[in-house]
Amino acid sequence: MARRKFATLKSFLDYIGIEGDRTIFTWVSASEGERFANVIKGVTAKVQALGPATKLVKEL
Amino acid sequence: MENIEKKLREEAKRLLEEKRVDALVGFEAGTLPLTATPCFITSPEEADRLVWNAFCSQNLAKYVHDLISQHHNSQKRVKPEDRKKKVVGVVARGCTTRSIVLHLQERQYGRDEVTIIGVPCEGYVDRKALTAALDGADIREGSLTGDRLDILTAEGKKEIPLQDVLADNCRTCRFNNPIIHDVMIGEPAPAMPGAVQEYAEVEEFEKLSTEERWRYFTKEMSKCIRCYACRQACPSCYCPTCFVEQTQPQWVGLGEDATDTQVFQLMRLFHMVGRCVDCGSCVSVCPMGVDLRKFLKKLDKDVFDFFGNRAGVSLDDPPPLSTFKEDDKEDFIYNP
Ligand code: SF4
Ligand code: SF4
Repeated sequence: MARRKFATLKSFLDYIGIEGDRTIFTWVSASEGERFANVIKGVTAKVQALGPATKLVKEL
Repeated sequence: MENIEKKLREEAKRLLEEKRVDALVGFEAGTLPLTATPCFITSPEEADRLVWNAFCSQNLAKYVHDLISQHHNSQKRVKPEDRKKKVVGVVARGCTTRSIVLHLQERQYGRDEVTIIGVPCEGYVDRKALTAALDGADIREGSLTGDRLDILTAEGKKEIPLQDVLADNCRTCRFNNPIIHDVMIGEPAPAMPGAVQEYAEVEEFEKLSTEERWRYFTKEMSKCIRCYACRQACPSCYCPTCFVEQTQPQWVGLGEDATDTQVFQLMRLFHMVGRCVDCGSCVSVCPMGVDLRKFLKKLDKDVFDFFGNRAGVSLDDPPPLSTFKEDDKEDFIYNP
C-alpha cells in the first residue's frame, strides 16, 4: 500500500512540475548498514546536482 | 427527458408513500433560467418539484453522505434498542453512483441506508462555458429543445448547440449510466463519444517540460481564493475536520501566501488518488475557474495505468490504495 502511495505521489509531483528526481523512495532494513550509507550518498549526490529546492517553499 | 421526469416523480412519490425512503435528494428547477438546484424531499406531495435535465450539475452523493452521517451522529446518544434507521433516496446518474460505491467501500454507510433511483445521463451544461458562449450576457429566458439551447439575453436571441457547452468531464465520461441502482428510470443512455480520449488532455500536459508544467500549476493556483467550495462540493471530501482547518498541527497556513495555497491544493488533490470519480462538481462550483480537472484526471490516469483500477466503478474491486499486488509498479524505488 505504501508502495502504491509513493508511486502515485512521485508521478503526481513530477506532473505539477516538481522534478521527479527530488522524490526518492526506498526500503532499508536496520541490518543493512552499508546499503543505508549508499542510499544516503546517492540521495545527497542527486539533490546536490539539482541544487536548492525553490518550489513549494514558503518565504517568511 | 420529459418522460424521464414524469417517471421519476412517480417513482419518488411511490417510495415516499410506501415509506421506503425517509428523505429524497434530487434536483428542482433553479431560480434563474436554465439552472437546477439540489432539493430535499420528505413528503409524497413534494415529488412534483423534481426535475431531471442537462442543468443538473452537482454530484448528489455529497448530500447523501451529509444526511446519513448527521443521522448516525444523532443516534450516538440514543440507546441501541431505540435507534432508528434512516433511508435516504437519491436521484443518481453514473458519477453519483460511483461516489456512492466509493462511500460504501469506505464503510461510510450501509447499502440498506441508501435507495438509488438510477437515471441515464448525457452530460450537463458547463455554466462557465455557457456564459462564455454568450460573451457574459445575462440569460433572461432560455429553453432546451432536443440538442439546442434557445436563449434570450439583453443582446437578443441566440441558439447554442448543447454539445458546445457540455462540461469537459461529461464529454469524456465512460460511466454515464448508473453502476448500481434500486430502481432504474428510462433506458440506459448511449456511450459518450469522447470517452475514448478521456486522457488526451493529460497526455498533452505530460509532454510539456517540467518548468512549463510548474508555471501552469502555479498560474492556476494563483487564482484560488481558498473559498473551499471545491471541497464542500466533493463527495469524496467528507472528513469531519479537514486538514486545512486543523490547528494541532497546522498543516498549512491560512493566509494569502501563494505557497500555502499550492500546498492546500496539492494535499487536497492528493487525497483524491483512486477516489476522484470525475463528476466535475469541484470545477463547476469554483468561482475562480481554477483548472482542477487537469490535475485530478492525472491521478485517475495514473491509478488506472499503474493498478488497473478506476474509482467507484465496481463494488467488488477494493479501493486501489487499500490493497496491493505482488507485481505492483516499483521501478520508482531507488536502488543505489
Ligand atoms: S481535503 Fe482531504 S482532509 Fe480535507 S475534507 Fe477533503 S479528503 Fe478530507
Ligand atoms: S473552489 Fe476554486 S477558488 Fe475556491 S478553494 Fe477551490 S479551487 Fe480555490
